[in-house]
Amino acid sequence: MGKSVVFAVAGSGKTRMLIESLSLERKCLILTFTDNNLVNLRSRVMQKFGYVPHTITLATYFSFLNSFCYRPLFAMAIKTKGFNWDVPPARTLKFSRDSVNYYVDGTQRLYYGRLALFLEKWKAIPDIVGRVEKYFDSLLVDEVQDFAGHDFNLLSAVVAASSVDVLLVGDFYQHTFDTSRDGATNKSLHDDYAKYRDRFRKMGIEIDDESLIKSHRCAPAICDFVNAQLGIEMRAHGEQEALVEMVSDQGRADELFADDATVKLFYSESGKYRCHSLNWGGSKGLDHFIDVCVVLPDNVAKAYKKGNLKTLPASTRNKLYVACTRANRHLYLVPGAFLKQYKADVLDARGQM
Amino acid sequence: MKTIEKIRLFNFKKFEQFEVDFNKEMNILIGDNEAGKSSILTALDLALSGSRSKVDSAGVESLLNIDSIAKFFSGGTRSIGRLPTIFVEVYLSDQGNPELNGKNNSLGKQCDGLRMVCAPMDEFGKEIVDILGQPGENFPFEYYAVRFATFADQPYSGYSKHIKHLLIDSSQINHDYATREYTKSMYSAHASAPQKYKFQNEYRKHKTQFRTDILAELNNTLSDYKFTVRNNAKSNLETDLVITEGDIPIENKGKGKQCLIKTEFALKKNTGTYTLDAILLEEPENHLSHLNTKKLIQSIRESKTKQVFLATHSSLICTRLDLRKVVMLNSSSGAPLLLSGLSPDTADFFMKAPDNNVLEFILSKRVILVEGDAEFILMEAFYKKVTSGRTPEQDDMHVISVGGTSFKRYLELAKALEIRTAVIRDNDGDHQKNCIDSYSDFAGLSHVKVFADPANTRSTFEICMYADNTAACDELFGPGRKTLPVQDYMLKNKTDAAFELLDKKEADLVTPPYIQEAIEWVKA
Repeated sequence: MGKSVVFAVAGSGKTRMLIESLSLERKCLILTFTDNNLVNLRSRVMQKFGYVPHTITLATYFSFLNSFCYRPLFAMAIKTKGFNWDVPPARTLKFSRDSVNYYVDGTQRLYYGRLALFLEKWKAIPDIVGRVEKYFDSLLVDEVQDFAGHDFNLLSAVVAASSVDVLLVGDFYQHTFDTSRDGATNKSLHDDYAKYRDRFRKMGIEIDDESLIKSHRCAPAICDFVNAQLGIEMRAHGEQEALVEMVSDQGRADELFADDATVKLFYSESGKYRCHSLNWGGSKGLDHFIDVCVVLPDNVAKAYKKGNLKTLPASTRNKLYVACTRANRHLYLVPGAFLKQYKADVLDARGQM
Repeated sequence: MKTIEKIRLFNFKKFEQFEVDFNKEMNILIGDNEAGKSSILTALDLALSGSRSKVDSAGVESLLNIDSIAKFFSGGTRSIGRLPTIFVEVYLSDQGNPELNGKNNSLGKQCDGLRMVCAPMDEFGKEIVDILGQPGENFPFEYYAVRFATFADQPYSGYSKHIKHLLIDSSQINHDYATREYTKSMYSAHASAPQKYKFQNEYRKHKTQFRTDILAELNNTLSDYKFTVRNNAKSNLETDLVITEGDIPIENKGKGKQCLIKTEFALKKNTGTYTLDAILLEEPENHLSHLNTKKLIQSIRESKTKQVFLATHSSLICTRLDLRKVVMLNSSSGAPLLLSGLSPDTADFFMKAPDNNVLEFILSKRVILVEGDAEFILMEAFYKKVTSGRTPEQDDMHVISVGGTSFKRYLELAKALEIRTAVIRDNDGDHQKNCIDSYSDFAGLSHVKVFADPANTRSTFEICMYADNTAACDELFGPGRKTLPVQDYMLKNKTDAAFELLDKKEADLVTPPYIQEAIEWVKA
């Protein structure tokens, strides 16, 4: 199998490719970021084999980092009590990178975002590589675009140094959150696709951006919309008919809001709307929606009107891309203004009047 | 095969610090009383079982090393950080499981293993400080908690054991609890998980059926209150199971027989779902007849698929099982001695030799080895004479009759274990050849010395005795009393003659010079 990274577009079958590469004869470690996707991967493995074979280990990147790398090597030496998930306060930047104080807060919790750097500074990479090689034949990573900060460096070092087969899959434009933003480390990693690809080339791994360029999920109409409006290149595999409808009247918006078969995807605070809803970011990895109604916040709606979606901040644009490409059939775009009245705090305020 | 490669103990029972490497098949723990044989088995049992309740019922007070507590109180400030912590580390062979592998051990070595830590609980820091602040020496045992984690720092418990083991303690062989635990362990080791669930389910069903089919006869005559059969955690298949041999429950058999059966059953080869990785045997010779001890030894020797740890006081067991597997615990020095370096020849000799006193020898610090029973009978009398009335026991001295001339086998042990050993032998008519050249292998050792009469004419013990005690011997064995000449009589009836000398002439005995020398040397 060798070492390769496959860049894909939404709905093109990344997960399927990972699952297809599995076999009972090889000990595989599959990493992903979110618990949601872990559940998804586990059920796909079970679909393939009927159960989760003991040769296949599924883990979130964090549990890999903690349970496979950090604790086996350092639990006794560095007595920490769990993790601090916040962005480390700026004053800690003054500490030497060789001092434990940089990594551990006042209550002996380890800054999550600095764990990868800790492992690097404490020269654990050879041990981690050794452990990966000892227990696995291949390393598979889903959603590889979510590696950022020190985590990206750790991944690079392990991939470059280990002799196991490596298959990384991801979608550059689905990079929606940084795992461990810390100072300037890899700050510009996701700014430029071409430079991003170069970083993988430096790990000595083959880059494949051909195999998964076509989306199975999204219809040509949606792919065209994403191409034209968001400036993200994607093509459709099939020729299914689908609508991309920009809703422009209140009546249509109310109708969609009331329709529980159509999921409403909000930029944020989806929980405040009493309907079948999710946040854009939270919808990543989900594949089961037929029709999708993407609710555009005011600034996005404005940019859309001007044909300026491409110029949105990358993180907003990426999340919008994720949201739009959840649709297996129709895509409805609704300006948020139409739905404001349904928001919980607005309703509550009205109730008090 | 899953094997235990090493154990390290800190502040555990009698050990402040202890380490020993184990043989992957068999380990025979020997040592004087209180040397720590059982402590090692207990440490293994607790760490392997991952059972909090076992630790709780043993009690931190009995597990924590007493010296470490004394040191805590005598050695400085009474701060929490200085409180002693118990560690038991069990190093395992590579299991191919990353959850076992890591550097969380006192050696900082990346390998597979399990770790039991018993330490004060951080969350009760304030309470502990209060207790330590009290006058007197009040130790906060109650604030200690146990934690079981692998070297990868993954917690484990009785439900997720990494090594299947069984402890058979002959002193508890008849206890209800021990018997139940044994039955449970053996059932668990034999039945597969699906079988266990199925049987449990069926058993419950049959009980219900008993109520509806049989008890009904009685219940139908009752109105408000009826009888049924108990069916709960305290009464189910696992609590009701017993092991039988020829339809007789083994718990109805004698202690010795039970011990033998339980051990033999546990030692059976792993087949099908039956897996047991390690067997811990605590003094299996208790309650066993000589013959049954031999049977037990046979079945232990034949078991190749399990790692055996055995604490014993029996020479028979440790020689017949192979002296090279002996781990000797010495009550004075902390470090164990292994006999793995013993020559295969010598180990084999003791395996086949007649029943002997090897264990007694190994556990001694000073030994006088004599050639035959006659010397043995008189040695205590000689000892008293040379040391103005002391007995060998008072000086921790052992006198062992090795029978014939297998001295060199014992000397090899003496060499390895640094036992101060005086060999008292006959020169058999050639002092240079028999008593010097023959022992050239041991010539450089300061703790081994051979004593024999240098005059070739004084070739045996009896000849020397007669020469040095002519009057006494003549009186006892002289003409008129015995038909043979005195010297000949003594040579033909060595033990009888020695016994009569001791019985009737002890006060007048003159110790042959080479024996006197030997006693003076070995005592020094």
